[in-house]
Amino acid sequence: MARGDAEFVEFARSASGRLRHAAFLMTGNHHQAEDAAQTALVRTYASWSRIRDEDAYGYARTVLVNHLVDGWRRPIREYPTDDLPEQRRGDVADDVATRRWLLDILGALSARERAIVVLRYYFDLPEAQVARELGVSLGTVKSTGSRALQKLRATGTPATQGTGR
Amino acid sequence: MTELEQLRRAMRATERPYPEDLDLTVIMRDGRRLRRRRRLVGAGATALVTVLVAGGVGLGVRWARPPAADRPPARAATVPGATPPATSPPSPGPTRWRPPQQPIGEVIDTGIRYGVDQRVYYLVAVDVPEGPRVRVGLMAGRRTPAGELTNDIVINDVQGSDRRPGFHEIGYDDTTPSDARPPVPTFGYFVGPATRIVGTAGGRQVDARLARWSTDPELVVFWFDPVDLTPGVRLDGIVARDRSGRLL
Repeated sequence: MARGDAEFVEFARSASGRLRHAAFLMTGNHHQAEDAAQTALVRTYASWSRIRDEDAYGYARTVLVNHLVDGWRRPIREYPTDDLPEQRRGDVADDVATRRWLLDILGALSARERAIVVLRYYFDLPEAQVARELGVSLGTVKSTGSRALQKLRATGTPATQGTGR
Repeated sequence: MTELEQLRRAMRATERPYPEDLDLTVIMRDGRRLRRRRRLVGAGATALVTVLVAGGVGLGVRWARPPAADRPPARAATVPGATPPATSPPSPGPTRWRPPQQPIGEVIDTGIRYGVDQRVYYLVAVDVPEGPRVRVGLMAGRRTPAGELTNDIVINDVQGSDRRPGFHEIGYDDTTPSDARPPVPTFGYFVGPATRIVGTAGGRQVDARLARWSTDPELVVFWFDPVDLTPGVRLDGIVARDRSGRLL
């Protein structure tokens, strides 16, 4: 295996989990998330020689988010809850409550708004960078963050919903 | 714990492990194919373009010769040595070049002006190896008073049929505006009896401008005036309605 390929394999193994989870947060669908993460990795590999010494993860993340935002014509509005969460840690009921709470909040937002929330609060990117990556204004990023917070306050936390904790 | 911390924590707490199911063989195989297509596009300066594909993998598209009956008379002007837009997103620099083939049908004038140049859209012939029923793409270009065309962005389907009813690819201009190439208004086409197309962006509804393609009136080209919708800004949704206001 060429050195570049070995580096990509290492990168893909370390990045795929977060990419897939970010896609899941944006779509609420594990299968769609898996496809989106794979698409992002394919395109990242196609450009690997150019980006491997730069911010490869940032490149993959941008490809992923734009791919999903561009797919707004096939929005996933239903969030399946019948698949059991992984039992890797904590209490199953606790995980289910947290996931439902989270998907309720994200499900009330548009695709672009979900992307902003995921970039801002999952990837912890600065507002200006979120605006740049999505091609929206700084004001849109700020207002979307506020809207998500309002929804969060209205929905309450998993602990206050009576299904968990 | 603040609500923001709660949100951040919930996003991380719901992470699922993604261990051994990563199929790197397939990813790298598809990545190599994509890379080869890009190289092919880059090398084929005389006949190849890459398209912007919303939601899909960019595929090399070869200019194809349109049916002779659709071809307007040849023009005299040529730009030797110029290159077509060859990257995705399209190259921001001036790409004034003579397309190997002419537009199919009439060129649509949007009424948008850049000095003396007009923003125009026109259908062009494309050849998508993976999509034999995709024969045309929609080009955003500019036209000089002398009639010379400059290609800016082409969009086309990469599978299925280019006449499938409904919306097709949407063209967004993600490049940095420059004096050499003004931003391309968001555009696309719809197949069906649409008389009104409305996009949504940032909770705001924006009406698109429409024009029917002279060769096939079922194909409705639409674009958003840059005053109403900043080029490059993603739409959150889009709908088409017929004459009676019925959603299509």
